[in-house]
Amino acid sequence: MQDDKGPRGYHDVGGDAAGTIPIVDLPWLHWEKQVEAIRGLLGDGTRRIVSLDEVRRGFESFGVEKYNSLSFYRRRLEAMTDILIEKGVVSHAELDQAIAQGKAKWAEFDPKA
Amino acid sequence: MKRFSDGDCVKVLALGKEGHVRIPHYVRNQIGHIAGYCGTYLNPEDLAVGNTSGQAVDLYRVAFEQRQLWPNQPIPKHDMLVIEIYDHWLAPAQETSDAP
Repeated sequence: MQDDKGPRGYHDVGGDAAGTIPIVDLPWLHWEKQVEAIRGLLGDGTRRIVSLDEVRRGFESFGVEKYNSLSFYRRRLEAMTDILIEKGVVSHAELDQAIAQGKAKWAEFDPKA
Repeated sequence: MKRFSDGDCVKVLALGKEGHVRIPHYVRNQIGHIAGYCGTYLNPEDLAVGNTSGQAVDLYRVAFEQRQLWPNQPIPKHDMLVIEIYDHWLAPAQETSDAP
């Protein structure tokens, strides 16, 4: 969208009609805390591997459909992973391998996983 | 050197920048007043593309009348929005009769 105020990202929804806003405390899940902890480490002053602004640029580039289909921490996780791959810190193959290993490990504890 | 002091009247620019910016659409071209100085920070527009060697820029708190931002809403005059805006998105502006 563009007018005299310049480009407007799909995430920039301030002022849009939103209907009734549900006011509920969502649980803060363990994996979400892990995402935030890792993001903090990647972005801290001594490492500067992935900044919070890079993560934001990442999910602001998802496309609106993907963006709206993901939760707050899923967006951060996906964007962080994208940036790590973009910068060559990890490769797609390494990531896929690590995910497969993680799933295999959990399957030992929970056959449904 | 800081360009603005508390109480200065400023207009938010519409820089037309693509990519990651921290200035929401609804506040662009609006006139407000400097409500505080936050210090200097690396420009998030640089950081968003991995550039950590850019110049640090001044960050200000800027106050706007809510009813000016949302003219179709019944909002009391004293309701303010205070938002942090980087120096390069601000220009000096003239007081308007409606300004606080």
